[in-house]
Amino acid sequence: MMFSKCKVLLFCIMQITGATCASKTIPDFDEEIAQLISKRCLECHNQRDLKGDVNLATSKGFQDGTKNGKIALKLINEGKMPPKSKGISKKLSDKEIELFTRWIKGGANWPKDRVLDLYETTNNVRAGRDWWSLQPIQRPKPPYLKMNPIDSFIRFKLKSESLTPAPQASLRVLVRRAYFDLIGLPPSPEEIDHFLSDKSPNAWTKLINKLLASPHYGERWARYWLDLVRFAETDGYERDKLKENIWRYRDWVIAAFNNDMPYTQFVREQLAGDELQNRTEQSLIATGMIRAGTWNDEPNDPADYVYSRLEDMVHTTTSAFIGLTVKCARCHDHKFDPILQSDYYRIASFFWAGPIGQANQGGPSKELLGSNAYGWTDLNATPKPIRLLHQGERDKPGPEITPGFLSAITALDKPLSPPPPNSKTTKRRLQFASWITNKNNPLTARVLVNRIWQNHFGEALVRTPNNLGFKSAPPNNQELLDWLAAEFMHPSANGGSAWTIKRLHKLIMTSETYKQDSIHPHDDKYSALDYSNQNLWKFPRRRLGSEALRDAMLSVSGRLNLKAGGPSFYPKMANEALEGLSRKSGDWQTSNEKERSRRSIYMMSKRSRLLPLMTTFDFHDTTVTCGQRDITTVAPQALALLNNHFVHTQSEALAKRLIEISKDTKIQIQTAWKLTFNRNPTDNEINQALEHLNTQQSYFDKKLESNNKTNNNPIHLALSSLCHVLLNTNEFAYID
Amino acid sequence: MPKDNKNKTFNIFPCGNTRREFVWEMGAGFSGIALASLLSADGFFARHSKAAEQDTHNPLEPRNSNYFGKAKHCIFLMMNGGPSQVDTFDFKPELRKYANKILPQDKKYINSGGRRVGYLTPNWRPFRPGGQSGLLISDYFPNVRKHADKIAVIKSCYTDSHAHGSALVAMNTGSTFIGRPSLGSWSVYGLGTENQSLPGYVVMLDKRGGPISGQPNWSSGFMPSTFQGTLFRPSGNPILDLKGPSHLDSTAQRQQLDLLAKLNEKHLNERLGGKELAARINSYELAFRMQSETPEAVDFSKESQATLKMYGVGQKPTDEYGRNCLIARRLVERGVRFIQLYSGGGHLEDTWDGHESIEKNHGLHGKEVDQPIAALLTDLEQRGMLESTLVVWGGEFGRMPFSEGKNAPGRNHNPYGFSMWMAGGGVNGGSNYGETDEFGFEAVINKAHVHDIHATILHLMGIDHEALSYFHQGRKETLTDVHGRVIKDICS
Repeated sequence: MMFSKCKVLLFCIMQITGATCASKTIPDFDEEIAQLISKRCLECHNQRDLKGDVNLATSKGFQDGTKNGKIALKLINEGKMPPKSKGISKKLSDKEIELFTRWIKGGANWPKDRVLDLYETTNNVRAGRDWWSLQPIQRPKPPYLKMNPIDSFIRFKLKSESLTPAPQASLRVLVRRAYFDLIGLPPSPEEIDHFLSDKSPNAWTKLINKLLASPHYGERWARYWLDLVRFAETDGYERDKLKENIWRYRDWVIAAFNNDMPYTQFVREQLAGDELQNRTEQSLIATGMIRAGTWNDEPNDPADYVYSRLEDMVHTTTSAFIGLTVKCARCHDHKFDPILQSDYYRIASFFWAGPIGQANQGGPSKELLGSNAYGWTDLNATPKPIRLLHQGERDKPGPEITPGFLSAITALDKPLSPPPPNSKTTKRRLQFASWITNKNNPLTARVLVNRIWQNHFGEALVRTPNNLGFKSAPPNNQELLDWLAAEFMHPSANGGSAWTIKRLHKLIMTSETYKQDSIHPHDDKYSALDYSNQNLWKFPRRRLGSEALRDAMLSVSGRLNLKAGGPSFYPKMANEALEGLSRKSGDWQTSNEKERSRRSIYMMSKRSRLLPLMTTFDFHDTTVTCGQRDITTVAPQALALLNNHFVHTQSEALAKRLIEISKDTKIQIQTAWKLTFNRNPTDNEINQALEHLNTQQSYFDKKLESNNKTNNNPIHLALSSLCHVLLNTNEFAYID
Repeated sequence: MPKDNKNKTFNIFPCGNTRREFVWEMGAGFSGIALASLLSADGFFARHSKAAEQDTHNPLEPRNSNYFGKAKHCIFLMMNGGPSQVDTFDFKPELRKYANKILPQDKKYINSGGRRVGYLTPNWRPFRPGGQSGLLISDYFPNVRKHADKIAVIKSCYTDSHAHGSALVAMNTGSTFIGRPSLGSWSVYGLGTENQSLPGYVVMLDKRGGPISGQPNWSSGFMPSTFQGTLFRPSGNPILDLKGPSHLDSTAQRQQLDLLAKLNEKHLNERLGGKELAARINSYELAFRMQSETPEAVDFSKESQATLKMYGVGQKPTDEYGRNCLIARRLVERGVRFIQLYSGGGHLEDTWDGHESIEKNHGLHGKEVDQPIAALLTDLEQRGMLESTLVVWGGEFGRMPFSEGKNAPGRNHNPYGFSMWMAGGGVNGGSNYGETDEFGFEAVINKAHVHDIHATILHLMGIDHEALSYFHQGRKETLTDVHGRVIKDICS
C-alpha cells in the first residue's frame, strides 16, 4: 500500500517539476545514486551486514530503514552518517549531500527489483567484480611486429612517452648479469672468455640455455619461492623445534625449477601431493609447503589457534598462487576487493579437513601420511562442516559454509564435488589446485609471470606482487602482462610446453629490453620524467641480495662448496648473536668449515635466530609470505662487510688463491679484478692497489714486529686487505 | 565493462587512502617535506629506499611529531618471566583473610602448564607507602619506592596469553603471533632517531640468556630491518661486527676505506644518476664513525665514582643491571630513541618466573634491579632528562594470587591481571590507575589491555597509535591493530 502511494506521489512531483527542469533536477538512480550509496553507505548497510537493521541494498530496505530518505537526510546533514572513523569525520561532501537531497526530494525513485551489490562495479573506494585482474586474460596484439613481443609492448609505451631505450649493454656486462640473474653466482674468468670468444650469432641464446640447464639455476630461483611460502626450518616460539626433514621440501622446489616442472604440476603437488592418484614420495614432500609456517605448541587457546593456522594457510596459498589478500575477509567482507567473508571460509575449508590441531607438530602422523616426509594430508574424507565466524570469533558461529572458490571469479564459481567413495581424503585441495590452474582463472598466470618479471628486473609490472587487488599498484603495462600470461598458458607456435617457466626466462632475456645498459645517456632528463623507471628506459641496476652476496664471496674466494641438497648447514654464529637465544648455544651446533662454505639456500633458517649477516642484508622475515624483499642501504651492512669474520675468511682465502696462481704482484692484482669484477683493472687501479699493498705491508710489518710472523705474514695480510676492499666495493655489490 | 581503473585509483589520491598508488604514478613528480613525511608515515620510503627517497630521505632521520608528547625517548625495563603483582605494586590486604582458601570457583582461568593449583597466598613481603602520594610498594622495591611520586602504576593490565613465548611477543609487538614489528620498531619508524652513529633502537639482554621466542621480540616484522632492535652488549664492542681482526686497527682500516672510496668514486663517475651507489658510499663513512662512537657509549671512564656507586656498578648483585641502566641513560643522552633492558633471561628461576618460590625469586631479581632502577630515575631527574624520557616497567604477564600447592611458595602465570608502571616523559606521577579484584586475580576496573599500554606509550612519545601506519600486503597495519585506547588519566 505504502509503496503505491509513494509511486503516485512521485508521479505527481514529476508531473509538476518535469515541465520546467526535466530530468536534470532528479538524479538518475543508476547513473549517480547507486554509486553514491554503494561508496558511502553500503559497506555497513548491505544484505549481509545490517548495521542498525538498515539494509540500503534494496528499495524496501531503504524505505523502511530511512523513512524513505528522511532519516538518512537528517543523519547525513548532521555528519552522523557515515560515522566518524578513528576520530576522523567521514561526512559526505556538500556536492554529495546536494545530490542525495535532490534525489530524495525528487521522490527517491528506486527502480523495481534493483538490488545494490557492494561489489557490483569498481568505484573509488573498492574494486568490484569488474576489476581488471579478475577479467579473462586476452592475448593483446603486440603493437609492432618483427620483434620480440616484449620489446614491442615496451617500445610502444616508451614511444608514447617520448622516451628512447638505453643502448645495449656491453657483452661483459651482459654475461655477468645473466650469471647472477639465472644462477646467482658470478662467472669465472674462463667462462667470460669462453662467451666473449663465441662469435656465433646465437652465442647469447646458447649462454642462456647453458645457464638454464645448470643445477645452480634451481638453487637461485627456488629461493624466491621459499620466501613466498614463508619457509624456515623451525617452528618459532619457545621450543622453536626443528621441522625434521623439511629440507626435503626445499630440495623438491630446487628440483622442480631445475626440471622445469610445469607450473600446473608445481601447484598441484604442493597443494595436494597426497591426494594425487599417482602420488609419490616426492609429491608428499611437496605438501610440506602447507605446514612450513610458524607453529605454536603452546597457544593461549588451542581451539582459537586452529583458526589462526587456517589463516596462515589461506593467506600463504592465496597470496602465492593468486595474488589476492583473501585473509582480510576472515572477519568481514573484504574492504577493498570483491571477496566475501564466506569466500574466506570456502578456501579455509580446503585445510579444515587436515590436522590443524595440536598433535605431531601440527601435522599428520607418519602412519596417516604413510611417509616420513614433513608433509600434509587430511584426517579423513568427511570432516565436520566449517562455519563462518562472525567477526572471525569462534564463539560467534554463523552458517555452515559449503566448500567452494572465490565467488568473484564467476566463470569458475561452482561448488566442489564430494570425494569418491573409499577416498581417504576430501579431495578439496586437489580441486583447489585444479581451480588455480584452470586456464580461465584470470589470476594465476598473471601473478606468476609478474613474479618472474620482477626477479629479472627488480620490480614487477604490478609492483605489489602479492596483491593484484584494489590496493595494488596499477600495472605499468597491462598489455605486456596479459600477453606474457597468455603466452605462458598457450605457447605460440614452436614456443615449447604450456606453463613452463624456463621458456619465460628465455623470452625475457633475449629481448632488447633486458639487454639494455643500466646507464642511459639522458639519465637526468629521463629520471625527471620517470624516476622509478616504470617504462624501462634502462636496465635497473640491482644490488645483490643476502644469498647472492654471500655466495659470490665464496665463489670469488674459491671456497664455495657446490654440494647440492641434503640437510642444512649451521653457519658460524658469533657468541654475541647466540645470546639472543633463551637456550643459548645448546641449540646451535656449528657445522664444519666445508659445510659452512655451501650456498646460502642450504643454510639453516631457525626462526628465533636468523644469521645477522643475512638479516642485515634484508633476508625475509620467515613468518609470513614475502613477495618482494626490501632493499635497504644502512650502515650496519657496511659494518658487517668491514668486520664480519665470514668476510675476512673469504678475503684471506682469496688472497691465498691469488698467491697460488702467481707470485707476481701485478698478476695477483689483475686476477683479483678478474675474479671479483670480471674485468681487467685500469693502470690507475693497478697503481692504487700497489700503493695499498705497500702501505699495508709496511704497516703490518711494523705492527707485528714483536709477534710471530709465520702465521701473520705481512705480505699475505696486505693482499687480504686489498681483497677485503674489493669485496666491499659497489662494483662487487651491484649488478649493472 | 572493465573500466579504466588505473586512472580511477590514481585520481582518488587526495581524499583516499592510496598514497602509494599516487607515488607509483607520479614517480619523481613530487616534492616538498609535507608529502615526504606523509609518505614516510606510510612506510613508502622505508620499503623502497632504492628509489627517489634514498638521496633525499633517510628513514632514520629524526622527525618531530605534530602531536602531544613530551617523551623523546623511551626506556622499557622488561621484567622477563612475569613478576607477581600482589607481591610488588598491587597490595591486596584481603588475601590475608582468604589465605589458605581456594580461589572462588566462578573465577575462570587457564592453568598454564597444568601446574598444581594451591591456595590463596598473601604478599610475601610487606607494602609501605612511598613519597607524598603514599603509593603502596612492597619491600622488593624499597629504592624504587622513594620515587613513588614519579610513578603511575597501572594495576589493571591484562594480556592475551598465559605462555611466556606468546606473551613476551605480545608485550613487545601487540600480537601473540611472531612476525609483527615491535614497539621499538614502531617508535623508530615514526620518529626516526637523533644520532645516526648509534642504533635508534637498542635491546640489552640479561647475561643468563635471551627471552623466550628470541629475535621476534625485537623484530621489525614486515618493516625493513632498518627498524629492528639492535642487540647491545654492556662493555667493549657493544654491537656485532664493530671490530675486525686485530691487525686491521683504525689506521689500517682507514687505508682500506681510502682505497674503497677511490674505487667507488671511479665506479660512480662511470654511472650517471647512480644515486643508490652514492648512498652506499655514505653508509661506509657512517659505519666508520659508529666504530668509534658506539664503544664510547659504554665507556664509563668519565662517569663519577658517585654515579657508578649509585647504580650499583661493581657491586653484587646490582652490577649487571646497574651497568645497563647507566648505559641506557648514556644512550638517551646520545639521542637513542628506544631502549629495552631485560631483567631475567633464559628460563624459570633465571627470570622472574617464580614458580618455585616468590620470596627467593623476587628477592634475588628485585635486589638486582631495584637500586639500578632507582638510580636511573634519580640520574635522569638530576640531569633534567626525566621529562623527555619515558620509563616503563613491567613483565609479559603477572602471577596468580594462589600458590602451586599446599605450602608451596611459588605462583603460576597470570595474564588476567598484572601491574606495570610508567614514569617520566609526560606521566602523571604518584598515581594509580585501574584495579584488580579483591584477590588481585583479574583486572576489573579500567582494564588496560597490552594494546592500551602500547597506545599510551606511543601517545606519550607524540605518536597517534591510529595514525602511525605501515602499508603491508593490502592493509594499513598499526601497532595496535584496530584496538588500543590511550590511558589519558596517567598522562599529565
